[in-house]
Amino acid sequence: MKSTANLWRPVILGAFLIFMVVPVIATLVFSVSTRWDRSLWPEGYTLRWWSQVTSSPLFLLTLKNSFIASLATMFCLLVLVTPTAYWMKLKVPQAKTIVEIITTFSFGVPGVVLALALIRFYSKVPLPIINRPTILVAACMVLSLPFMYRPIVNALEAIDFRVLTEAAQSLGANGWAVLSEVIVPNIMPGIVNGCLLVFSTVFAEYTLTNLLVGTRFKTFPIYLVEWTRQDGRQASALAVVSFVVAWIVSLLIIWVTSKGGRETTHAVGR
Amino acid sequence: MTATVSTASPARKKSSALTWAAWLGMVPFLVFGLAFEFLPLLTVIRSSLLSKGVPTLEFYRQALDPLYLRSFGNSLKLSATTAGLGVIFGTLVAYAIITTKNQFVQNALTALSDVTTNFGGAPLAFAFIVILGSTGVITLLLKEIGIYLYPNFRIYSISGLTVAYLYFQLPLMILLIIPSLHGLKREWREAALNLGASTSRYWLEIALPILLPALMSGFLLLFANSFGAYATAWTLTGSDVDLITIRIAALIRGEVQLAPELADALSIMSLLIMTACVIGYLRLSTLSRQARQ
Repeated sequence: MKSTANLWRPVILGAFLIFMVVPVIATLVFSVSTRWDRSLWPEGYTLRWWSQVTSSPLFLLTLKNSFIASLATMFCLLVLVTPTAYWMKLKVPQAKTIVEIITTFSFGVPGVVLALALIRFYSKVPLPIINRPTILVAACMVLSLPFMYRPIVNALEAIDFRVLTEAAQSLGANGWAVLSEVIVPNIMPGIVNGCLLVFSTVFAEYTLTNLLVGTRFKTFPIYLVEWTRQDGRQASALAVVSFVVAWIVSLLIIWVTSKGGRETTHAVGR
Repeated sequence: MTATVSTASPARKKSSALTWAAWLGMVPFLVFGLAFEFLPLLTVIRSSLLSKGVPTLEFYRQALDPLYLRSFGNSLKLSATTAGLGVIFGTLVAYAIITTKNQFVQNALTALSDVTTNFGGAPLAFAFIVILGSTGVITLLLKEIGIYLYPNFRIYSISGLTVAYLYFQLPLMILLIIPSLHGLKREWREAALNLGASTSRYWLEIALPILLPALMSGFLLLFANSFGAYATAWTLTGSDVDLITIRIAALIRGEVQLAPELADALSIMSLLIMTACVIGYLRLSTLSRQARQ
């Protein structure tokens, strides 16, 4: 009894660990193997695929595009969400329901449907945003809105924003100064956490990019999928780059949340 | 942009003028929601219900063609399978994680779940081709010991997608269920065992009913998570696998020449399925949070 009671745990945890780690390790090894499709172990090791894939101008261009899309989305959401969340908490608590509906919209709407809706609407509206990176950033904002909103609201709820506001005002600070010099520094962990979550979501985004801008604004995931159809070894190097970016951002998030209050938010809908 | 704090009078006079001024601060956010969520969605709903300006259900009738019903069926089956397996194994792993005495293992595996639940899409799909493709590492390894995966299993098919989806479903379930498992008090178990209940009876009659709302809400979220997924399936299989999101995307890209309104109707139907799941999830998770407090 005792021995079986102790054995099931390492077995389950070991199996879980293997399932989660093997795909990533195998992709890494595959990217530095000369051939690994006939034998149990790679036939040899080489950095050729890495040098080929990184020397292409498209590598840096798509990486840059992904950074631009991620940072633009992050910045726009920051400017939109922070003042709104603070103002809502302070003055218009009645708005909470509608704000949360707008925020969780992307949980309930498949990515392909969001893309279709944006295309249908903006091809009729005389605004020059269809097929442009602008519409992609807007769509990515919808997609990652909950990841910015949740940590910021949690951080606001954790501080006494009302007392802070009144104290700052009694010292003569106006609205903007209260927000930027008193509230924002106090909810910084939430803001940083939100930014990182948004960044990693948008950096890995494929569905909306593919359907909204396609090859007109090639991002890194688009480039990666193109390679998976052509050459697996170079694709594996690109996949490793994606994994590394995702791991770095996630570890940063864990580091930030372990310093502030812990709250988790997760990407939903791939 | 929105934070023009009006003269803060300690007197809490809620005149309607003040409320209106306060609502003004919400305008940018509400406009964003209108412009990029509700108006575009309304366009799709409207267009799915109109044929040359006349209200009709024709496109929904077309959407119920066996061809599309099969796509819906495949999507529902895939979502139910990966959500079901995710709930079962996720809960099992989560329980193993929280009952481990080794603090390092506990933290490391929770962090691993945190990281991997945000994985998905193209790189993940490709990683599974590397290990489970027809010449993948695991495929070769199993062949070595006499197990031939192919041709019964293909990573480029629904069975392959099931395995790949579990990669993000499992960690999501683990993170969702850990707080509820923490809510199971050690004393309850001890009390039950002291009163003569067996361990299995404790699980079936005490722990499971308490966990039920959390398990069900987890199932719904995982279901929605899988139902709306597109990138992983598309990278792995191209248009080979007949899922509803793949079909809608093909209609958007114009690979199939059909009435655009049909894509609208299919979209609205998948939207309804997914929204129902998410609303159910939100309701149930509030329930289980309240039960915990």
